[in-house]
Amino acid sequence: MLKALKCTIVVTMLVLVTGSLASAQAPAQQSQAEMVARLQQLQKELATLQAAVAETAKVAAAPQAGQRGGQTPAPAQQGGRGAQPPAAQQQPAMPPGMVMPGGAAGGDPNNPEGAPADSTDPAAMLARIKLLEQRIKDLETGAVLSDPETRIRKKEVYVDKNGVEYDQPTPGAKRVVTYERERVYRRNNINEKIEEALSDAEEHHVKVGVDAGIVSQFAHRTKGDAFVQDDGTETGNNHAYMLASADLFFTAGIAQNTIFFADIVGLSGPPPDLELGTLSLVNGYSARLVNQNELNLREAWLRTELFSNRLSLTAGRLDLTNYFDNNAAANDETSQFISDALVNNGALGLAENGAGLAIVFDPKNGFNFKAGFQQSSHTATSLSDSFYSLAELGYVARLPGLGEGGYRFWYRTDNNETTGYNIGFGTSIDQKLGPEVTLFARYGESQANPKRDKFYSGGFQFAQGLAFYPGDKWGVGFSQIDPVVGGKEQLVEGYYNLSIAEKFNLSFHVQHFLESDSGTKRGYLVPGIRLQASF
Amino acid sequence: MSKVKTFLAVTGISAAVCGLSFGLLGVAPKAGVLVAQGQVKVADPTSVVMIVNRDSNDIAFMDIKTKRLVGKAFLGNNVNPHMVMMSPDGRYVVTGGTRANKAYIIDAHTLELVKVIPVDIAPEHLSFSPDSRWYYQGNPDGDSISVIDMQSLTKIKTIPGFAEPLNVTFTPDGTKAYVGNYGAHWVGVIDVRRHELSKKIQIAAPPGTAKLDPDRFLGELHGINIATPTPDGRFLYAADGALGMVGVIDTREDKVIKTIQVGKDPWRAYMSHDGKYAVVPNNGDETISIIDTKTNRVAATLEAGPDMVGVNFAAGKAFVISNSSGFLYVYNMSSLRPAGRIKIGVNVNLETATTDTADQKLYLAVSTTNEVVIIDARTEEIERVKNVGLFPWGTHIMDSKDNYCH
Repeated sequence: MLKALKCTIVVTMLVLVTGSLASAQAPAQQSQAEMVARLQQLQKELATLQAAVAETAKVAAAPQAGQRGGQTPAPAQQGGRGAQPPAAQQQPAMPPGMVMPGGAAGGDPNNPEGAPADSTDPAAMLARIKLLEQRIKDLETGAVLSDPETRIRKKEVYVDKNGVEYDQPTPGAKRVVTYERERVYRRNNINEKIEEALSDAEEHHVKVGVDAGIVSQFAHRTKGDAFVQDDGTETGNNHAYMLASADLFFTAGIAQNTIFFADIVGLSGPPPDLELGTLSLVNGYSARLVNQNELNLREAWLRTELFSNRLSLTAGRLDLTNYFDNNAAANDETSQFISDALVNNGALGLAENGAGLAIVFDPKNGFNFKAGFQQSSHTATSLSDSFYSLAELGYVARLPGLGEGGYRFWYRTDNNETTGYNIGFGTSIDQKLGPEVTLFARYGESQANPKRDKFYSGGFQFAQGLAFYPGDKWGVGFSQIDPVVGGKEQLVEGYYNLSIAEKFNLSFHVQHFLESDSGTKRGYLVPGIRLQASF
Repeated sequence: MSKVKTFLAVTGISAAVCGLSFGLLGVAPKAGVLVAQGQVKVADPTSVVMIVNRDSNDIAFMDIKTKRLVGKAFLGNNVNPHMVMMSPDGRYVVTGGTRANKAYIIDAHTLELVKVIPVDIAPEHLSFSPDSRWYYQGNPDGDSISVIDMQSLTKIKTIPGFAEPLNVTFTPDGTKAYVGNYGAHWVGVIDVRRHELSKKIQIAAPPGTAKLDPDRFLGELHGINIATPTPDGRFLYAADGALGMVGVIDTREDKVIKTIQVGKDPWRAYMSHDGKYAVVPNNGDETISIIDTKTNRVAATLEAGPDMVGVNFAAGKAFVISNSSGFLYVYNMSSLRPAGRIKIGVNVNLETATTDTADQKLYLAVSTTNEVVIIDARTEEIERVKNVGLFPWGTHIMDSKDNYCH
């Protein structure tokens, strides 16, 4: 036993001595390399922090001159890279071993004492490390928000009848939603904090948008006599027209899932419709607007979404054609066809916007159901006298071998004082034949005595590889209005929409109207150019 | 027998005294190395979901069966980890600390931090070579990739020359890695044998009208997030946000064989598990483009939601995560039609999700409520696991086909 104990002591001593020697050697071998690495790392951190300080100073001096060109920054959580906003611009890190150049006055700010960066003297290196660490500490204190961030968080707790709060479900305790402050260790730099503040401020402001268009059109009569207007004047063979339109949008979030929207539109200049007298509007910009050459309130409504955003209710002054009879290829006079007959179904019979309600139920499974009503005449003294109602069923389908298609069927009633009670129904279809080609078609009938007025239209839209530039699109379309009373109208239109910039488009149009009534025919060729800016 | 006992006793005492002597002498282990000595908390690395918590600065490990946290690896204050990944051999779990400029290596069994390695600026996304030898850490603010040798647990190289590198994709044979550059319109090809940037593959050139739209092309650039591989690694699908294009790269020849126009501001492509379709969320127009990988044409463009940050596939469906709306948009991948949406919450931010290896359940990180939501892909029922950590940013399951970050 004694022998074993002696043996243990000897071995222990040996291990102790060997371990001590080894550990004494190791730091000596490692210290130099480690210190060089640490120095390089500290220099890099210092460069980063100084870059952050410089960037902060720049932002403070000229807040509107940021890299986003003075635009309000995107919300932190938006699509992109989530809540990790881009870090401050970095100074290029110094390659290992390089000595930073000294300034004219005061020398190198990272090395004011002038110690050589590649010094191998351990004492000098240690002193330099100490100096750099202190400098980083100073910079972090002043330039980087190293403090734990405080934020308010929604929290579910359980409270019993005595008011005692529990974090977990407890017998006799009710679930209560409360709000509580929490601290988190999130390091943001000043730029990020400024962006967050601006983004937060933006969310609480009214957002303004502009959609402005200038349309120049030239009408050449190709067939028939000049059209005689109500005042007896005749239209010439060749007339030029220019219409300028500007929509100002105002949007504000006023409660959870509730927004207010207003659209004020100003139209200036005569569209061809005042002279040509076609059944459908040559220029869809003036559709459903009563007054020209003055400001109009196109829409002003409140929208709220209920039942997990499946049901939306919109009430106020509405343009119901924004909710019904949609079409992927022929629905927008500002970027697609300009003729109103290739924007909306002629059988809708809606002449102007008015106060009303639109209900949209969309469970996002391909089906959707819409219903709405509005006042259809501003001269009516009550809603009962001009009650226009509409219902629509929509479906996203996939036919074998084709892309997706939107199929919509609607039915409407109207008791407008001028036409009396009448009904109409129709369909609007867009079907992708491939990624580049979309087929569209509309059909509708509206009640007339003794039969029904009929409307149909169709055509194609081409995009992607079949255009000059990726954002361009073009289309050809045809429509026919066949009313029971009066002449028939046939329209052909082609357009090319050149996407010059994200917010700026230039389109070229050519339309041909053929009006026939009791054996007489009139034809008009209407080429035009449309400039559209949306921002 | 007594000799053996004596030897064991001697060795034990010697080791104890030796350890004591190290402590008394103040000799610390090599800087940055923390020796794992704890008990095994995760016996099977495929049995846990890893959760990266940005604000509590830790990686949480949740048992898939019990849905309870089995442990956490704390990284340090103000680390703000971004993405977590387990090495293919199941030995280590790694993450990049965005605000600490360091890579963190965690023992996958004991959950102890075994090494902290300084890398370049703002490390975010990362990837492992298929043989688990190399850990490539992308440093978007440093415009570089840090190469970490997982045998020696040391950084052996920093590959410069990138422009905001985000995700890294290795080829199945591990000879090449493709890097998406969010600050450019090209994919970088790294020769893994030499750890060098060997080629830049441009997806598409900006259009001729680019000079008329300086805000779009000279402002904040949304370039390429990732080159997403087909299951066999033969082709890569790289979406360019600014150009609205997806480039198809042939990995044998390293060239673009086709560009496909999708919607506005595509985020990235997500490959369905059978490799038939690549789903591209377009945040600019809130749609998704479904690309048929056989024909390399857009098979469908469907309405989706705002701020989409991820897509998972399970039970024959695609689940598209809309960050700010609180919804998952669901699509039937057989009919390529919308199939409803799943409400996760109101005023919440949904981050990213991983899918289990059976393609049955999704594990979705919800940052603002500090929870992980488990979604049954077939029934679309949800279950919440609360208090997983502060601001969970992403999840990861070993061998899942939907391990990604945003």
